Amino acid sequence: MSENNFLKKVLNETALSRRSFLKWSAALGGTAVVAGGINYGLKTAQAAAEATAMEGEWITAACWHNCGGQRCLLKAQVVDGVVQKVKTDDTHEDTDDYPQLRACARGRSQQHQVLGADRLKYPMKRKNWEPGGGKKELRGQDEWVRISWEEALDICASEFLRIKEAYGNEGIVELGSTLSRPIQMLGGAIKTWGTTSWGTWYYTGPFIGLGDGLSNTSNNDRLDMRKSNLIVIFGGNPAWSSQGNAMKFYMDAKKAGAKFIFIDPFYSDSAMVLADEWVPIRPGTDHPLVLAMAHTILTEDDPILNPLIDWDFLNRCTIGFDRDHLPEGVDPKENFKDYVLGTYDRMPKTPEWASEICGVAPYKIRALAREIAMTKRVSLLTAWSAARTNNSDTWPQVFMTLGAMTGNIGQSGRMTGVSCWERTANGGNQFLVGSGGSGVPRLEDEAINMTVNNNELWDAILTGQYTKDATAKQDVNIQMIVHDGSSSLNQKVGMTKGIEAHRKVEFVLTLNFVPNTNVKYSDVVLPVTTMWERAGYFKGNREHLIWARKVIDPIFETRDDDWIAAELGARLGFDPMVIWPLTPEQIAFNQLKGCWTLNADGATKDTLVTITADDIAELGVEGEPQTGKISLQEFKEKGIYAVPRREGDKYTFISHQAFRADPEANPLKTTSGKLEIHCQANADFVNSKGFTTIRAIPTYNKATEGYEDTFSDFENKVKGDFPLQLVTIHHRRRSHSMLDSVPWLREAFPQEFAISQIDAEARGLKHGDIVKVTSRHGSVIRPLLVTERLMPGVCYLGEGAWAEVDEASGIDKAGATNTLNGAIPTGQGHQGWNTCNVQVEKYTGLIELLPDHKWPQRIPVEEA
Amino acid sequence: MTKQMAFYFDASACNGCKACTIACKSKNNHPVGITWRKVYEYGGGTWIADPLDPAFLKPNLFTYAFSVACMHCENPLCMEVCPAAAISKDDNGIVLIDGDLCIGCRYCQWACPYGAPVFDEESSRMTKCNMCVDVVAEGGKPYCVEACVMRAMDFGELEELRAKYGNENAIEPLPPASITSPSLVITPHRHSQPSGKGTGRILEEV
Amino acid sequence: MTLRDWSLIVFTILVQMSVGSFIVLGVVHFYATRKAGLEEADRMSTRALLAIVPVLVLAFLASLLHLGSPTNAYFAVNNLGTSWLSREILFGVSFAVIATIYAFLQWRKLGPVVLRIIIGWIAALVGLALVYSMSNVYMIPTQPSWNTFATPVSFYATTFLLGLFAMGVAFVANYAYYQRKKVGCAEAQCELMRGALSGIAVASIILVGIELVVLPVYVAVLATGSAAAMESLRMMTGPYLALFILRIVLSFLGAGVLAFFLYRNASSPGREKVLAYLAYAAFIVVLAAEVIGRIIFYNTHVNIGL
Ligand SMILES: Nc1nc2c(c(=O)[nH]1)N[C@H]1C(S)=C(S)[C@@H](COP(=O)(O)OP(=O)(O)OC[C@H]3O[C@@H](n4cnc5c(=O)[nH]c(N)nc54)[C@H](O)[C@@H]3O)O[C@H]1N2
Ligand SMILES: Nc1nc2c(c(=O)[nH]1)N[C@H]1C(S)=C(S)[C@@H](COP(=O)(O)OP(=O)(O)OC[C@H]3O[C@@H](n4cnc5c(=O)[nH]c(N)nc54)[C@H](O)[C@@H]3O)O[C@H]1N2
Ligand code: SF4
Ligand code: SF4
Ligand code: SF4
Ligand code: SF4
Ligand code: SF4
Ligand SMILES: [Mo]
Repeated sequence: MSENNFLKKVLNETALSRRSFLKWSAALGGTAVVAGGINYGLKTAQAAAEATAMEGEWITAACWHNCGGQRCLLKAQVVDGVVQKVKTDDTHEDTDDYPQLRACARGRSQQHQVLGADRLKYPMKRKNWEPGGGKKELRGQDEWVRISWEEALDICASEFLRIKEAYGNEGIVELGSTLSRPIQMLGGAIKTWGTTSWGTWYYTGPFIGLGDGLSNTSNNDRLDMRKSNLIVIFGGNPAWSSQGNAMKFYMDAKKAGAKFIFIDPFYSDSAMVLADEWVPIRPGTDHPLVLAMAHTILTEDDPILNPLIDWDFLNRCTIGFDRDHLPEGVDPKENFKDYVLGTYDRMPKTPEWASEICGVAPYKIRALAREIAMTKRVSLLTAWSAARTNNSDTWPQVFMTLGAMTGNIGQSGRMTGVSCWERTANGGNQFLVGSGGSGVPRLEDEAINMTVNNNELWDAILTGQYTKDATAKQDVNIQMIVHDGSSSLNQKVGMTKGIEAHRKVEFVLTLNFVPNTNVKYSDVVLPVTTMWERAGYFKGNREHLIWARKVIDPIFETRDDDWIAAELGARLGFDPMVIWPLTPEQIAFNQLKGCWTLNADGATKDTLVTITADDIAELGVEGEPQTGKISLQEFKEKGIYAVPRREGDKYTFISHQAFRADPEANPLKTTSGKLEIHCQANADFVNSKGFTTIRAIPTYNKATEGYEDTFSDFENKVKGDFPLQLVTIHHRRRSHSMLDSVPWLREAFPQEFAISQIDAEARGLKHGDIVKVTSRHGSVIRPLLVTERLMPGVCYLGEGAWAEVDEASGIDKAGATNTLNGAIPTGQGHQGWNTCNVQVEKYTGLIELLPDHKWPQRIPVEEA
Repeated sequence: MTKQMAFYFDASACNGCKACTIACKSKNNHPVGITWRKVYEYGGGTWIADPLDPAFLKPNLFTYAFSVACMHCENPLCMEVCPAAAISKDDNGIVLIDGDLCIGCRYCQWACPYGAPVFDEESSRMTKCNMCVDVVAEGGKPYCVEACVMRAMDFGELEELRAKYGNENAIEPLPPASITSPSLVITPHRHSQPSGKGTGRILEEV
Repeated sequence: MTLRDWSLIVFTILVQMSVGSFIVLGVVHFYATRKAGLEEADRMSTRALLAIVPVLVLAFLASLLHLGSPTNAYFAVNNLGTSWLSREILFGVSFAVIATIYAFLQWRKLGPVVLRIIIGWIAALVGLALVYSMSNVYMIPTQPSWNTFATPVSFYATTFLLGLFAMGVAFVANYAYYQRKKVGCAEAQCELMRGALSGIAVASIILVGIELVVLPVYVAVLATGSAAAMESLRMMTGPYLALFILRIVLSFLGAGVLAFFLYRNASSPGREKVLAYLAYAAFIVVLAAEVIGRIIFYNTHVNIGL
């Protein structure tokens, strides 16, 4: 279709005005930008001022990815319905105690996702699709055909009904949640279980009495952290994975005098800024390191001459440290101290023992142990990365034990726990501000309750069987995959099998706004709106709340997920008013009116927003006027409510403080009420899953595809076929798979495979070479980054790139890490991405690899 | 010229996140290929046998990031060499390219030791950081400065910035300041090496 | 290499060759007049002189290719105050205009001879200034591999070497032309040509000698210079080593060995055929050497800084 026809069609069918579309369509050129020409040289201030004179309106815009950042403030300048540019927080003076919330490179590129040339615009189906599948092997290679919403929804409804009829609700797997209401009404679908982000912290953290690091934190708040003398970070790179203010909070602590030690295979950008010392360590081997530190402290401790251990805390607040502090009925041999000293297994966990595994020299382990034990106020912090390793079910436990031994729990400037994701460097379970509920009632419909572990999902589809629990396997026949708000194929372990599974089932449905990997391997794709096109979005962090509003009207034929759910539900025979009884505007209003803040007393809450009858009328919603701290107008204009902080305020959070003072009066939510160094609950939970088993005390369990598995003969140190360890780091370019296709970000952050200088030299590889990286599960090709910042023996590749698999060779040229990560269920069924063995060689094949930002964008249907 | 506005950069705080790079792109609507503010990672070093335990390797490395745009130099070599007199310095000491005069000879690119001029293939003109003249004219600070998540940048009159942050203006990978007298004040990183005496390399740019 | 690089190579080489040719012609014309009179001297040189004009036009056209916005080209002289590039353009255009006037006057035999001589001198001086400003364009502090005495030396060397051999070819061709047409005094022209060629040969051997002396000094300057200078040197002795050596060999072959044979054959009459071949060969070899030199020049410069 000619450009004119294309335009006409679009104009007839979208809510956009002609003028704004023409401007917007500049973005369709690919790398071109949103509107206006490029501003090549402004001779005078006046000319520059004229060029940017169109003020328009600055609307607070959502930055809603799972980015690990802090929900920064993003404002889009909208002139005549067209986004010009974005800016960040300028709503108040920027001070250390009360900092602005400045957006990262990704947030600032948001407009190129929302208005990118590769936005999904129309419902579409795979050309060779037929009811029941139709040339299923063509998924991922077939052409796309634009279809109407009517047809798309009819196809989806009839496939849901047909598959339910033929295979039952167990024939469907839902890998997201935006269609969960109609699916529940239909009787449900299989869901997956097992943690992603947290590794083993999600379950083990609470079992032992620390937080998981998200809903429950055991790091103190940022102002208290400034009192630390020493901050030790076991794996954690907030400069990449907790953007927003986390790095600044650490910097505040550094300026206040804290020393920083980073224990990490990678001398990260965080270490570059903060580290006074870097201790390189092999991935998945923090456990032996900590055991050896415990050994050092135990053997060198003398209550009088060299007090290294906080016996008082151990005795009062923990169980399982030694034989005198075990839960009733437990074999007295089963205690931590005797395990470390090797009393019964004749294998003392000495620094010499550990160094062989973790790669840290014995003297360094001892020095670290002494420094931690002898420094007055220490923060022992870790991100989830070290727990996203296979067989790491007791890692949180041993980490907690180190904190407990050295007394760094429950006191000012002293803490032990996770510092990750949005909660990095700023713990605190009581939020200071929050929003109200949506007001949408829960559904009561009965639904099947069947879950498959993430590590077994693709195998379950391919083999028809999965592990139900330690006692049983379960048959299953999954014939429909629903991707409603996830990037599962790309983001779960074992993608090569995942693709195979996608080509086996009868129907694959995806709801998304970008043509990511899920979309690529689907039959029918429904284009959804982004948060910028929706009624409102409330999200924040401990100290602030953002009210993001609708920035632009839905572009092309995109629709809200909720609209799709209701329309699909109607076709399945349900009442759309039950699926979504409220309008999007009403839902946003309910959240708004429920906004609250914690008062300066740190205990009572107040309503946040004053809402007048006029406001309600203007918004066209139902509700009652109310009085709060700020006017609706102010909240709307600022888009953010941030609670000012100062040292010594009532918002200060010191984790486990009351517990430490009086553990009997303030028991933890563990079986014993104490910190559990011996944790039967954790062992029982893990051992019930049917994968690998553990003991109740934190013994070291060698990881599948960990360091030891890089050898074919570990005893004699003979390296195997996959001699290197790969860390799939969370990458600056994107939030997982989100934003991966944005040209600005591709240009700024190349997806390089990083290797240490020593390993590169040993293979005759040079910086910039195209290399082929192979694991036991697949191969990728990528440009090589040679750096001295990696520990020899370790490589990294950023997770989240949109897989681009060459059909002939099976090689993924985008470097999606789950091509390399195999599905290896261990322990509690978490995904152990940071234990993966690879080999690297120079790529000599024929596939051409342009720099990513020169790749053509995926544009599934350019015309209809 | 009455004033000289300048950038301050704290190399000890910059984490190389490129929020500044993208902020500039956003403000100026720049496509891929036109990047006025670039962030360089500079570093080097080697792994050596640990003197305290030679069975283990020990890192002996250095690295830091540097965010660079036009330095609005006091002696702008770009301006001196531009045949079209398209480059000028305004009352705030801001060095600007007049795209209408530019003949696209790219000579300024050869002359500038900071890699500041960026050629725009589309318009066939040279472009470069204009120190957000429009924002500055209204008393504001440039976008990139206000974007910095680490608060590693500041903006103001050169003399005032010097009074506040000192006189350093040349660490690797920047050239010696004597070439163009950049309007820049630097707080060095703990690993910084003086300009011209570096033992490292640029590991990454954009 | 980009079109832009080629345009600069073509521009600088052709302009320098033109300046060199003009000056060589002037010198030859002077001696030829003394030896055989104005008539024969004009006859020997006018056609070569006229040929310079289109070469210059070509050079300027090539230079436009390296401008992003050639329609703005007339702004290029806006900054005579500080920009050597502006000055280069000014001298370039001036040289072209004056040289053209001179050629026109000689061709049409207009105006008094003294006027022609004065204009000729002016053109020659402007030409020398042009080459000087050309080298200054590259002598900027941020380009250590360019910012040395070697740039003007080599630009002037190029100017004269190419001028010499271009004119060598021109004389040979001119002679052949007159022989075919059978006009003028063949004897005199032959004599003049041989004389000119032996002069050319001697001058070129001296020039190539200078070039070969300058080279090690230049390398030493780079080797002791900034990191950028050393990087340039590393490129010359690394990826560009083969070209680098080829360039030296060709220079030596063309301006040395072939020039030597040119000299030997020029002194004994009756070898005009051989002389012609030698002159053509030497020109081609020297031109190739200079082009390669320029390729290396533009490809191995490394900025100081970023
Ligand atoms: N190899 C390896 N793999 C990993 C990791 C690793 O470290 N290594 N990390 C893992 C971790 S920690 C996580 S949390 C997961 C993340 O895994 P996912 O959550 O699957 O990844 P995202 O890329 O965030 O996917 C979100 C998808 O939802 C879409 N989306 C966003 N908003 C909406 C909406 O409103 N409606 C609809 N319909 N779609 C929407 C986005 O376009 C995107 O495609 O990845 C995991 N994968
Ligand atoms: N830019 C960006 N940021 C993100 C995300 C994203 O996709 N992109 N995703 C967000 C999400 S959902 C999550 S869950 C978080 C995850 O955040 P984290 O859990 O912090 O994970 P990473 O950032 O991958 O790794 C952090 C550091 O751990 C190191 N590391 C890896 N394995 C080990 C190990 O076994 N031992 C030790 N000691 N160190 C190790 C890595 O080298 C790296 O320096 O990131 C969030 N932040
Ligand atoms: S850190 Fe996250 S919320 Fe903040 S701007 Fe970046 S992507 Fe957006
Ligand atoms: S940094 Fe470069 S472009 Fe900017 S003023 Fe200095 S010399 Fe000119
Ligand atoms: S490219 Fe433009 S601004 Fe640069 S020197 Fe040439 S004319 Fe001047
Ligand atoms: S001052 Fe303005 S134009 Fe210059 S780099 Fe910063 S944002 Fe870009
Ligand atoms: S925004 Fe600040 S911290 Fe980030 S790269 Fe730029 S200067 Fe460095
Ligand atoms: Mo995550």
